[in-house]
Amino acid sequence: MKKCNFDILIDDYLLNKLEKKEKENFEEHYFNCEPCFEKMVARDELIAVIKNQGHRIFADEERPEEKKEVFSFGKILSFLTPKQWAYAAVSVSVTLVLLVVMLNVVPFQKKTTPTQQPFYYEFDEGRVRGENLRLISPVIDIEAVPSQFMWAPLGDNVEYKISIYFNHHPFWTATTKENTISLPDDVKNRMQASRKYSWQVKAFSPQGTLLAVSPKVQFKITAE
Amino acid sequence: MKQKLDLDEIIVKYRPILSFRIKKYLGHQNPDWEDVVNEIITNVIEKIKKGEFRGESSIGTFIYTISSRRIVDYIRQKSKTLKHIPEPKNFPAPEQEFESRQRAKTLTEAIQKLKPKYRKVLHLYYYKGLSRNEVAEKLGISPRRVSERVDYAQKLLRKIIKK
Repeated sequence: MKKCNFDILIDDYLLNKLEKKEKENFEEHYFNCEPCFEKMVARDELIAVIKNQGHRIFADEERPEEKKEVFSFGKILSFLTPKQWAYAAVSVSVTLVLLVVMLNVVPFQKKTTPTQQPFYYEFDEGRVRGENLRLISPVIDIEAVPSQFMWAPLGDNVEYKISIYFNHHPFWTATTKENTISLPDDVKNRMQASRKYSWQVKAFSPQGTLLAVSPKVQFKITAE
Repeated sequence: MKQKLDLDEIIVKYRPILSFRIKKYLGHQNPDWEDVVNEIITNVIEKIKKGEFRGESSIGTFIYTISSRRIVDYIRQKSKTLKHIPEPKNFPAPEQEFESRQRAKTLTEAIQKLKPKYRKVLHLYYYKGLSRNEVAEKLGISPRRVSERVDYAQKLLRKIIKK
């Protein structure tokens, strides 16, 4: 496909990031430039699929960080030669010995790493606070007021607190033991098109210990 | 005969372009888009036959201008008459729907076959909705490289789908 200087505007056009004049100029351009139009149609299809199926396509990417670290460890191993690993091991050992001498602590306490733990079974105090909780829907701009919010479950006996924010101020909050919640009609009626909202979920153990916190995810209701 | 051939070519070439633009403005679910496209094409043909296209601009720009006027008229007319009436849903023809579902399925599978570095950039840029600069910062690459990576991912997808 022939390269055109305008094609850098395709994404911004499809994602509605262009100013009015830029948008019109680009539209006039693609009426006259077949390569740009073809590329734009293909990109539009790609974006639509990602927006609709992203939760399935990117399930791995959406998992908490610690699981991916296990995967990448094998890759790191293959990056260095055995000789390089030997040097690295010696350097680390020397550093540790120095630390022991200087701080007078024993650094080799047997401690399980977070990668060995299923993160949601650790209910005892102070172990899993601040773990990641994955939001499923809505996580992108949507056409209508969402009737349901969904996140990845963390196991039985977990209570979730969902909070919706508008302009960084709390808009609505509720608690549930399910991993979905439906918005009451009065709340849905208060939500307006063209506004940006964000939401977050916190998980608590039956004792009230904070187990996991999701990132705050923003979405916009695009319909007029 | 020559003029007829040209008009046919124009219709074949510009119908998809017009449809794309009109759907973007009217909404993909709006059942009126096809009528609006047909009206514009009829209007374009009439104007060409009347000699109103004098070649001062390209034919693409000529059609683009006519479509812009029609979009403005449509929005004005709609906001007057249907301000409070909800839009009816447009259900695509079953074979169209099947074809588009199949395409989406193939594309979904192809994305899943991409190398992690390409999936990552698509995930952050399109799914998470981060800006190009934010993606660049997260991945430790330049914003230009982000666009290049997306372009290359698209090329790879085409290859995977063709296989």
